[in-house]
Amino acid sequence: MRYRAPPATALATVRLDEFTAVYHRPSGATHLLVEPAPEILAALVEPLTLDELADRLAATYELAGDAGALVARVDELVAAGLVAPA
Amino acid sequence: MSDDAPPDDPGSTSRRALMLGAVGASAIVSIRPALAQTAGSVLTCSIPVPDPGRAGSWIAADGRTVPAGTKGAFPAGATFRGEDVRRALNGGQLPGTTYDRSRAYVNYIRRLQRGQGGFTCFASLQMPRG
Amino acid sequence: MRHAFAVRVGPASFRIGSAWRAPVEALADLYRDYPPATVPDFTVRLEPTRPWRRWLRPSVAIAGDFTLPEAAPLPLAQALLAAEMGMNLQMALGWRRHLLLHAAAVERDGRALLISGESGAGKSTLASLLATRGWRFMGDEFALLDPASGTLAPFPRPASLKNASIALAGEGRWGPLLEGTPKGDIRHRVPDRAAIDAMDRGATPALILFPRFGEAAAARAVAPSEAFARLTQASTNYQMLGEAGFVALTRLVRDVPAVAIDYPDTATAIALIEERWA
Repeated sequence: MRYRAPPATALATVRLDEFTAVYHRPSGATHLLVEPAPEILAALVEPLTLDELADRLAATYELAGDAGALVARVDELVAAGLVAPA
Repeated sequence: MSDDAPPDDPGSTSRRALMLGAVGASAIVSIRPALAQTAGSVLTCSIPVPDPGRAGSWIAADGRTVPAGTKGAFPAGATFRGEDVRRALNGGQLPGTTYDRSRAYVNYIRRLQRGQGGFTCFASLQMPRG
Repeated sequence: MRHAFAVRVGPASFRIGSAWRAPVEALADLYRDYPPATVPDFTVRLEPTRPWRRWLRPSVAIAGDFTLPEAAPLPLAQALLAAEMGMNLQMALGWRRHLLLHAAAVERDGRALLISGESGAGKSTLASLLATRGWRFMGDEFALLDPASGTLAPFPRPASLKNASIALAGEGRWGPLLEGTPKGDIRHRVPDRAAIDAMDRGATPALILFPRFGEAAAARAVAPSEAFARLTQASTNYQMLGEAGFVALTRLVRDVPAVAIDYPDTATAIALIEERWA
Protein backbone atom coordinates (compact mmCIF):
# COMPACT_ATOMS: atom_id res chain seq x y z
CA MET A 1 0.00 0.00 0.00
CA ARG A 2 1.47 3.35 -0.98
CA TYR A 3 0.59 6.64 0.63
CA ARG A 4 0.74 10.12 -0.79
CA ALA A 5 0.28 13.68 0.40
CA PRO A 6 -2.04 16.09 -1.39
CA PRO A 7 -0.55 18.13 -4.24
CA ALA A 8 1.06 21.39 -3.13
CA THR A 9 -1.87 23.41 -4.48
CA ALA A 10 -4.20 21.64 -2.05
CA LEU A 11 -2.50 22.95 1.09
CA ALA A 12 -1.80 26.34 2.64
CA THR A 13 0.91 25.97 5.25
CA VAL A 14 2.03 28.44 7.90
CA ARG A 15 4.77 27.70 10.42
CA LEU A 16 3.66 29.13 13.77
CA ASP A 17 6.15 27.74 16.27
CA GLU A 18 6.83 24.05 16.86
CA PHE A 19 3.36 23.68 15.35
CA THR A 20 2.61 24.18 11.68
CA ALA A 21 -0.90 25.30 10.72
CA VAL A 22 -2.23 23.62 7.60
CA TYR A 23 -5.37 24.53 5.66
CA HIS A 24 -6.56 21.72 3.43
CA ARG A 25 -8.36 23.40 0.57
CA PRO A 26 -10.43 20.47 -0.71
CA SER A 27 -12.01 19.87 2.71
CA GLY A 28 -11.80 23.37 4.22
CA ALA A 29 -10.35 21.77 7.34
CA THR A 30 -7.58 23.29 9.45
CA HIS A 31 -5.04 21.21 11.33
CA LEU A 32 -2.11 21.97 13.60
CA LEU A 33 0.76 19.61 12.92
CA VAL A 34 3.79 18.93 15.02
CA GLU A 35 6.91 16.92 14.19
CA PRO A 36 7.06 14.47 12.48
CA ALA A 37 3.78 15.13 10.62
CA PRO A 38 5.02 18.01 8.41
CA GLU A 39 8.17 16.04 7.56
CA ILE A 40 6.11 12.99 6.63
CA LEU A 41 3.85 15.13 4.41
CA ALA A 42 6.92 16.55 2.69
CA ALA A 43 8.34 13.07 2.10
CA LEU A 44 5.06 11.80 0.65
CA VAL A 45 5.22 14.26 -2.23
CA GLU A 46 5.50 11.06 -4.22
CA PRO A 47 3.65 7.86 -3.33
CA LEU A 48 5.64 5.66 -0.94
CA THR A 49 5.05 2.49 1.04
CA LEU A 50 5.64 2.67 4.78
CA ASP A 51 9.06 1.03 4.38
CA GLU A 52 10.03 3.43 1.62
CA LEU A 53 8.85 6.31 3.78
CA ALA A 54 10.97 5.13 6.70
CA ASP A 55 14.01 4.85 4.41
CA ARG A 56 13.36 8.26 2.87
CA LEU A 57 13.09 9.90 6.27
CA ALA A 58 16.14 8.04 7.62
CA ALA A 59 18.19 9.40 4.73
CA THR A 60 17.65 12.92 6.04
CA TYR A 61 17.00 12.49 9.75
CA GLU A 62 18.10 10.45 12.70
CA LEU A 63 14.82 8.64 13.41
CA ALA A 64 13.94 8.44 17.08
CA GLY A 65 11.14 5.97 17.62
CA ASP A 66 10.11 2.65 16.15
CA ALA A 67 8.22 1.47 13.12
CA GLY A 68 5.05 1.27 15.19
CA ALA A 69 5.24 5.00 15.85
CA LEU A 70 5.68 5.78 12.16
CA VAL A 71 2.63 3.69 11.29
CA ALA A 72 0.63 5.55 13.96
CA ARG A 73 1.69 8.90 12.53
CA VAL A 74 0.72 7.90 8.98
CA ASP A 75 -2.62 6.50 10.19
CA GLU A 76 -3.30 9.81 11.91
CA LEU A 77 -2.60 11.74 8.75
CA VAL A 78 -4.93 9.43 6.84
CA ALA A 79 -7.65 9.88 9.48
CA ALA A 80 -7.25 13.67 9.22
CA GLY A 81 -7.69 13.47 5.46
CA LEU A 82 -4.20 14.76 4.74
CA VAL A 83 -2.70 11.55 3.38
CA ALA A 84 -4.44 9.17 1.03
CA PRO A 85 -3.67 5.66 -0.13
CA ALA A 86 -2.17 6.03 -3.61
CA MET B 1 14.42 21.47 8.23
CA SER B 2 16.67 19.29 6.02
CA ASP B 3 20.28 18.42 6.59
CA ASP B 4 23.04 17.59 4.18
CA ALA B 5 24.64 14.70 6.06
CA PRO B 6 25.65 11.90 3.67
CA PRO B 7 23.42 8.82 4.16
CA ASP B 8 26.36 6.44 4.03
CA ASP B 9 27.84 7.78 7.27
CA PRO B 10 26.02 5.79 10.00
CA GLY B 11 28.09 7.22 12.84
CA SER B 12 27.35 10.82 11.90
CA THR B 13 25.56 13.01 14.46
CA SER B 14 25.10 15.92 12.09
CA ARG B 15 21.61 14.86 11.01
CA ARG B 16 18.78 16.31 13.02
CA ALA B 17 16.76 13.88 15.10
CA LEU B 18 13.16 13.36 14.01
CA MET B 19 10.93 12.39 16.91
CA LEU B 20 8.38 9.89 15.68
CA GLY B 21 6.54 10.02 18.97
CA ALA B 22 4.74 7.25 20.81
CA VAL B 23 2.12 4.98 19.33
CA GLY B 24 -0.57 6.39 21.63
CA ALA B 25 0.40 10.01 21.17
CA SER B 26 -0.71 12.42 18.49
CA ALA B 27 1.02 14.81 16.10
CA ILE B 28 -2.14 16.40 14.72
CA VAL B 29 -4.70 18.70 16.29
CA SER B 30 -7.65 19.10 13.97
CA ILE B 31 -9.61 22.28 14.46
CA ARG B 32 -13.28 21.53 15.09
CA PRO B 33 -16.09 23.90 14.17
CA ALA B 34 -16.63 26.22 17.08
CA LEU B 35 -20.04 27.71 16.49
CA ALA B 36 -21.50 25.67 19.29
CA GLN B 37 -19.13 27.09 21.87
CA THR B 38 -19.76 30.70 21.02
CA ALA B 39 -23.47 30.14 20.53
CA GLY B 40 -23.61 29.62 24.27
CA SER B 41 -22.86 33.25 24.87
CA VAL B 42 -25.32 34.23 22.21
CA LEU B 43 -28.27 32.32 23.42
CA THR B 44 -29.99 30.78 26.33
CA CYS B 45 -30.94 27.29 25.31
CA SER B 46 -32.62 24.19 26.55
CA ILE B 47 -32.19 20.47 26.04
CA PRO B 48 -35.18 18.12 25.76
CA VAL B 49 -34.77 14.67 27.29
CA PRO B 50 -35.35 12.73 25.11
CA ASP B 51 -35.38 14.72 21.88
CA PRO B 52 -38.77 15.16 20.23
CA GLY B 53 -37.95 12.47 17.69
CA ARG B 54 -37.81 9.95 20.50
CA ALA B 55 -40.79 11.14 22.51
CA GLY B 56 -42.18 8.35 24.64
CA SER B 57 -38.88 6.53 25.09
CA TRP B 58 -37.35 5.99 28.48
CA ILE B 59 -33.74 6.60 29.42
CA ALA B 60 -31.51 3.77 30.62
CA ALA B 61 -28.92 4.38 33.32
CA ASP B 62 -26.16 4.63 30.70
CA GLY B 63 -28.08 7.23 28.73
CA ARG B 64 -29.40 5.15 25.85
CA THR B 65 -33.02 5.57 24.86
CA VAL B 66 -35.03 2.39 25.40
CA PRO B 67 -38.69 1.42 24.95
CA ALA B 68 -41.04 2.71 27.62
CA GLY B 69 -41.39 0.31 30.51
CA THR B 70 -37.89 -1.15 30.19
CA LYS B 71 -36.74 -2.46 33.56
CA GLY B 72 -34.26 -0.21 35.29
CA ALA B 73 -34.85 2.70 32.91
CA PHE B 74 -36.40 6.05 33.76
CA PRO B 75 -39.42 7.69 32.21
CA ALA B 76 -38.54 10.97 30.55
CA GLY B 77 -40.21 13.88 28.85
CA ALA B 78 -38.69 16.98 30.41
CA THR B 79 -36.76 19.92 29.05
CA PHE B 80 -33.84 21.35 31.00
CA ARG B 81 -32.31 24.81 30.82
CA GLY B 82 -28.73 25.09 29.64
CA GLU B 83 -27.63 26.51 33.00
CA ASP B 84 -29.02 23.49 34.87
CA VAL B 85 -27.41 21.06 32.47
CA ARG B 86 -24.06 22.80 32.80
CA ARG B 87 -24.27 22.43 36.58
CA ALA B 88 -25.22 18.78 36.25
CA LEU B 89 -22.30 18.16 33.89
CA ASN B 90 -20.04 19.53 36.61
CA GLY B 91 -21.33 17.20 39.31
CA GLY B 92 -24.67 18.72 40.30
CA GLN B 93 -28.11 17.30 39.88
CA LEU B 94 -30.80 18.21 37.38
CA PRO B 95 -33.76 19.95 39.03
CA GLY B 96 -36.77 17.80 39.78
CA THR B 97 -34.86 14.50 39.55
CA THR B 98 -33.44 11.93 41.90
CA TYR B 99 -29.71 11.21 41.89
CA ASP B 100 -30.02 8.11 39.67
CA ARG B 101 -32.48 9.67 37.26
CA SER B 102 -30.28 12.74 36.94
CA ARG B 103 -27.26 10.58 36.13
CA ALA B 104 -29.23 8.72 33.46
CA TYR B 105 -30.40 11.97 31.89
CA VAL B 106 -26.89 13.42 31.98
CA ASN B 107 -25.57 10.30 30.28
CA TYR B 108 -28.25 10.71 27.64
CA ILE B 109 -27.17 14.31 27.10
CA ARG B 110 -23.51 13.36 26.86
CA ARG B 111 -24.36 10.96 24.06
CA LEU B 112 -26.11 13.54 21.90
CA GLN B 113 -24.94 13.69 18.32
CA ARG B 114 -25.07 16.52 15.85
CA GLY B 115 -28.56 16.63 14.36
CA GLN B 116 -30.34 15.54 17.51
CA GLY B 117 -32.45 18.01 19.40
CA GLY B 118 -30.38 19.69 22.08
CA PHE B 119 -26.97 18.97 20.55
CA THR B 120 -26.12 22.60 19.78
CA CYS B 121 -27.08 23.59 23.30
CA PHE B 122 -25.08 20.73 24.82
CA ALA B 123 -22.00 21.52 22.75
CA SER B 124 -22.25 25.19 23.69
CA LEU B 125 -22.07 24.28 27.39
CA GLN B 126 -18.69 22.69 27.01
CA MET B 127 -16.66 25.79 26.43
CA PRO B 128 -12.95 25.31 26.87
CA ARG B 129 -11.58 26.71 30.12
CA GLY B 130 -9.99 30.10 29.72
CA MET C 1 -44.39 44.10 13.33
CA ARG C 2 -46.02 46.93 15.23
CA HIS C 3 -42.90 48.66 16.53
CA ALA C 4 -39.49 49.00 14.96
CA PHE C 5 -36.07 50.43 15.71
CA ALA C 6 -33.02 50.72 13.48
CA VAL C 7 -29.40 51.33 14.47
CA ARG C 8 -25.89 51.07 13.10
CA VAL C 9 -23.04 49.71 15.23
CA GLY C 10 -19.68 49.88 13.51
CA PRO C 11 -20.02 48.30 10.05
CA ALA C 12 -23.28 46.46 10.81
CA SER C 13 -26.84 47.80 10.73
CA PHE C 14 -29.85 46.24 12.40
CA ARG C 15 -33.58 46.65 12.20
CA ILE C 16 -35.36 45.37 15.29
CA GLY C 17 -39.07 44.74 15.11
CA SER C 18 -41.12 44.14 18.22
CA ALA C 19 -44.66 43.11 19.03
CA TRP C 20 -44.42 45.34 22.11
CA ARG C 21 -43.63 49.03 22.38
CA ALA C 22 -41.58 48.95 25.57
CA PRO C 23 -38.49 47.14 24.17
CA VAL C 24 -38.29 49.54 21.23
CA GLU C 25 -38.48 52.51 23.59
CA ALA C 26 -35.75 51.00 25.76
CA LEU C 27 -33.55 50.40 22.71
CA ALA C 28 -34.11 53.92 21.40
CA ASP C 29 -33.01 55.29 24.74
CA LEU C 30 -29.97 53.02 25.15
CA TYR C 31 -28.79 53.73 21.60
CA ARG C 32 -29.73 57.40 21.41
CA ASP C 33 -26.15 58.50 20.63
CA TYR C 34 -25.75 55.94 17.85
CA PRO C 35 -26.29 56.67 14.14
CA PRO C 36 -29.58 55.44 12.72
CA ALA C 37 -29.46 52.64 10.19
CA THR C 38 -30.60 53.25 6.64
CA VAL C 39 -30.53 49.91 4.89
CA PRO C 40 -30.16 47.22 7.56
CA ASP C 41 -27.83 44.22 7.19
CA PHE C 42 -29.98 42.19 9.54
CA THR C 43 -33.49 42.01 10.94
CA VAL C 44 -34.23 40.91 14.48
CA ARG C 45 -37.79 40.25 15.60
CA LEU C 46 -39.04 40.08 19.16
CA GLU C 47 -42.19 37.96 18.91
CA PRO C 48 -44.62 36.39 21.32
CA THR C 49 -44.08 32.63 21.63
CA ARG C 50 -47.78 32.09 21.07
CA PRO C 51 -50.30 34.73 20.01
CA TRP C 52 -51.84 34.99 23.48
CA ARG C 53 -48.37 35.34 25.06
CA ARG C 54 -48.35 38.87 23.78
CA TRP C 55 -50.47 39.74 26.78
CA LEU C 56 -50.53 36.74 29.12
CA ARG C 57 -47.18 36.34 30.96
CA PRO C 58 -45.61 37.97 27.93
CA SER C 59 -42.79 35.89 26.57
CA VAL C 60 -40.34 37.07 23.96
CA ALA C 61 -39.04 34.69 21.32
CA ILE C 62 -36.03 35.87 19.36
CA ALA C 63 -36.48 35.63 15.61
CA GLY C 64 -34.73 37.19 12.67
CA ASP C 65 -32.80 36.50 9.50
CA PHE C 66 -30.79 33.91 11.41
CA THR C 67 -32.22 31.78 14.21
CA LEU C 68 -31.24 28.87 16.38
CA PRO C 69 -34.21 26.62 17.04
CA GLU C 70 -33.27 25.78 20.61
CA ALA C 71 -33.35 29.35 21.91
CA ALA C 72 -35.35 29.66 25.11
CA PRO C 73 -37.76 32.64 25.21
CA LEU C 74 -37.37 35.43 27.76
CA PRO C 75 -39.92 37.36 29.84
CA LEU C 76 -40.89 40.75 28.45
CA ALA C 77 -39.02 42.53 31.25
CA GLN C 78 -35.81 41.14 29.76
CA ALA C 79 -36.58 42.18 26.18
CA LEU C 80 -33.44 44.34 25.99
CA LEU C 81 -31.44 41.19 26.61
CA ALA C 82 -33.47 39.39 23.96
CA ALA C 83 -32.70 42.15 21.46
CA GLU C 84 -29.00 41.95 22.28
CA MET C 85 -29.02 38.18 21.87
CA GLY C 86 -30.87 38.57 18.60
CA MET C 87 -28.24 40.97 17.30
CA ASN C 88 -25.46 38.67 18.50
CA LEU C 89 -27.06 35.79 16.67
CA GLN C 90 -27.26 37.72 13.39
CA MET C 91 -23.58 38.68 13.64
CA ALA C 92 -22.45 35.23 14.75
CA LEU C 93 -24.25 33.38 12.00
CA GLY C 94 -24.45 35.96 9.23
CA TRP C 95 -21.48 38.35 9.24
CA ARG C 96 -18.86 37.51 6.67
CA ARG C 97 -16.98 40.73 6.09
CA HIS C 98 -14.68 40.15 9.05
CA LEU C 99 -13.36 37.22 11.02
CA LEU C 100 -15.45 37.41 14.20
CA LEU C 101 -13.73 36.75 17.49
CA HIS C 102 -15.71 36.42 20.68
CA ALA C 103 -13.56 39.02 22.39
CA ALA C 104 -13.53 42.52 23.80
CA ALA C 105 -11.29 45.18 22.31
CA VAL C 106 -9.96 48.52 23.52
CA GLU C 107 -7.62 50.92 21.73
CA ARG C 108 -4.81 53.20 22.77
CA ASP C 109 -2.67 55.24 20.35
CA GLY C 110 -4.04 53.39 17.36
CA ARG C 111 -3.14 49.97 18.78
CA ALA C 112 -5.68 47.50 20.08
CA LEU C 113 -5.80 45.10 23.00
CA LEU C 114 -7.88 42.01 22.25
CA ILE C 115 -9.38 40.31 25.30
CA SER C 116 -10.54 36.77 24.57
CA GLY C 117 -12.24 34.43 26.99
CA GLU C 118 -15.32 32.47 27.90
CA SER C 119 -18.26 33.93 29.78
CA GLY C 120 -17.11 34.98 33.22
CA ALA C 121 -13.47 35.50 32.28
CA GLY C 122 -14.01 39.25 32.57
CA LYS C 123 -13.91 40.52 28.99
CA SER C 124 -16.74 43.01 29.38
CA THR C 125 -15.68 44.16 32.83
CA LEU C 126 -12.03 44.67 31.91
CA ALA C 127 -12.87 46.46 28.67
CA SER C 128 -15.31 48.76 30.45
CA LEU C 129 -12.83 49.52 33.21
CA LEU C 130 -10.03 50.23 30.74
CA ALA C 131 -12.42 52.57 28.95
CA THR C 132 -12.57 54.66 32.12
CA ARG C 133 -8.77 54.84 32.14
CA GLY C 134 -8.14 56.48 28.81
CA TRP C 135 -8.60 53.54 26.43
CA ARG C 136 -11.16 53.70 23.64
CA PHE C 137 -13.89 51.07 23.94
CA MET C 138 -14.24 49.10 20.69
CA GLY C 139 -16.62 46.39 21.85
CA ASP C 140 -17.13 43.70 24.49
CA GLU C 141 -18.81 40.92 22.51
CA PHE C 142 -17.26 40.70 19.05
CA ALA C 143 -13.90 41.81 17.73
CA LEU C 144 -14.01 42.20 13.96
CA LEU C 145 -10.75 41.29 12.20
CA ASP C 146 -10.46 42.52 8.61
CA PRO C 147 -8.99 39.60 6.60
CA ALA C 148 -7.48 41.94 4.03
CA SER C 149 -5.73 44.46 6.27
CA GLY C 150 -5.42 42.67 9.61
CA THR C 151 -6.92 45.64 11.45
CA LEU C 152 -9.78 45.49 13.93
CA ALA C 153 -13.04 47.28 13.20
CA PRO C 154 -15.01 48.58 16.19
CA PHE C 155 -18.36 47.09 17.19
CA PRO C 156 -18.96 49.33 20.21
CA ARG C 157 -22.37 48.21 21.36
CA PRO C 158 -23.28 48.91 24.99
CA ALA C 159 -21.32 46.50 27.17
CA SER C 160 -23.32 43.83 28.91
CA LEU C 161 -22.19 43.62 32.54
CA LYS C 162 -23.31 40.96 34.98
CA ASN C 163 -23.89 40.71 38.70
CA ALA C 164 -20.90 41.97 40.69
CA SER C 165 -19.34 43.60 37.65
CA ILE C 166 -22.18 46.08 37.49
CA ALA C 167 -20.84 47.80 40.60
CA LEU C 168 -17.26 47.66 39.37
CA ALA C 169 -17.41 49.32 36.01
CA GLY C 170 -17.67 52.85 37.27
CA GLU C 171 -19.28 55.93 35.92
CA GLY C 172 -21.03 56.35 32.61
CA ARG C 173 -24.54 56.00 31.29
CA TRP C 174 -26.37 52.79 32.03
CA GLY C 175 -29.44 50.99 30.76
CA PRO C 176 -32.03 49.57 33.13
CA LEU C 177 -31.19 46.78 35.56
CA LEU C 178 -32.45 43.45 34.20
CA GLU C 179 -32.81 41.11 37.13
CA GLY C 180 -32.95 37.35 37.19
CA THR C 181 -32.04 36.70 33.57
CA PRO C 182 -30.56 33.33 32.60
CA LYS C 183 -27.16 35.05 32.77
CA GLY C 184 -27.84 36.63 36.17
CA ASP C 185 -28.49 40.33 36.77
CA ILE C 186 -27.47 42.38 33.76
CA ARG C 187 -27.01 46.06 33.06
CA HIS C 188 -25.81 47.66 29.84
CA ARG C 189 -23.15 50.33 30.06
CA VAL C 190 -23.27 52.81 27.18
CA PRO C 191 -19.81 53.63 25.81
CA ASP C 192 -18.80 57.26 26.09
CA ARG C 193 -19.64 59.57 23.23
CA ALA C 194 -16.09 59.64 21.87
CA ALA C 195 -16.05 55.85 21.51
CA ILE C 196 -19.41 55.85 19.72
CA ASP C 197 -18.35 58.66 17.39
CA ALA C 198 -15.15 56.75 16.55
CA MET C 199 -17.03 53.61 15.51
CA ASP C 200 -15.61 53.78 11.99
CA ARG C 201 -11.98 54.11 13.06
CA GLY C 202 -10.10 50.80 13.15
CA ALA C 203 -6.99 49.88 15.10
CA THR C 204 -4.01 47.54 14.65
CA PRO C 205 -4.03 44.62 17.11
CA ALA C 206 -0.97 44.81 19.34
CA LEU C 207 -1.63 42.37 22.20
CA ILE C 208 -3.91 39.37 22.69
CA LEU C 209 -4.99 38.72 26.26
CA PHE C 210 -6.51 35.53 27.70
CA PRO C 211 -7.66 36.46 31.20
CA ARG C 212 -8.90 34.08 33.86
CA PHE C 213 -10.69 35.43 36.90
CA GLY C 214 -10.51 34.06 40.40
CA GLU C 215 -6.92 32.90 40.63
CA ALA C 216 -3.78 34.34 42.23
CA ALA C 217 -2.02 36.85 39.97
CA ALA C 218 0.06 35.19 37.30
CA ALA C 219 1.05 35.84 33.70
CA ARG C 220 2.62 33.73 31.00
CA ALA C 221 3.32 34.14 27.31
CA VAL C 222 1.04 32.13 25.03
CA ALA C 223 2.70 30.55 22.00
CA PRO C 224 1.24 31.41 18.58
CA SER C 225 -0.05 27.87 18.04
CA GLU C 226 -1.93 27.92 21.33
CA ALA C 227 -3.34 31.38 20.61
CA PHE C 228 -4.38 30.13 17.17
CA ALA C 229 -6.19 27.08 18.55
CA ARG C 230 -7.92 29.09 21.27
CA LEU C 231 -9.01 31.82 18.86
CA THR C 232 -10.49 29.32 16.38
CA GLN C 233 -12.68 28.19 19.25
CA ALA C 234 -13.52 31.81 20.04
CA SER C 235 -14.64 32.53 16.48
CA THR C 236 -18.18 32.05 15.24
CA ASN C 237 -17.27 32.22 11.57
CA TYR C 238 -13.73 30.89 11.20
CA GLN C 239 -14.99 27.83 9.32
CA MET C 240 -17.32 29.82 7.13
CA LEU C 241 -14.61 32.18 5.92
CA GLY C 242 -12.51 29.27 4.67
CA GLU C 243 -8.97 30.09 3.61
CA ALA C 244 -9.46 33.82 4.22
CA GLY C 245 -10.11 33.01 7.87
CA PHE C 246 -7.03 30.77 8.01
CA VAL C 247 -4.83 33.48 6.53
CA ALA C 248 -6.25 36.21 8.78
CA LEU C 249 -5.87 34.20 11.96
CA THR C 250 -2.39 32.79 11.25
CA ARG C 251 -1.22 36.30 10.41
CA LEU C 252 -2.73 37.65 13.64
CA VAL C 253 -1.01 35.11 15.89
CA ARG C 254 2.32 35.46 14.11
CA ASP C 255 2.30 39.26 14.22
CA VAL C 256 0.76 39.87 17.63
CA PRO C 257 2.06 38.53 20.97
CA ALA C 258 -0.37 36.76 23.29
CA VAL C 259 -0.38 36.53 27.07
CA ALA C 260 -2.55 34.65 29.56
CA ILE C 261 -3.17 36.22 32.95
CA ASP C 262 -4.80 34.98 36.11
CA TYR C 263 -6.20 37.65 38.34
CA PRO C 264 -7.94 37.75 41.72
CA ASP C 265 -9.45 41.22 41.18
CA THR C 266 -9.76 43.78 38.42
CA ALA C 267 -7.17 46.17 39.85
CA THR C 268 -4.57 43.41 39.57
CA ALA C 269 -5.69 42.63 36.03
CA ILE C 270 -5.40 46.27 34.98
CA ALA C 271 -1.90 46.44 36.48
CA LEU C 272 -0.83 43.23 34.69
CA ILE C 273 -2.20 44.58 31.42
CA GLU C 274 -0.63 48.01 31.64
CA GLU C 275 2.70 46.44 32.56
CA ARG C 276 2.71 44.47 29.34
CA TRP C 277 1.43 47.23 27.11
CA ALA C 278 4.65 48.70 25.76
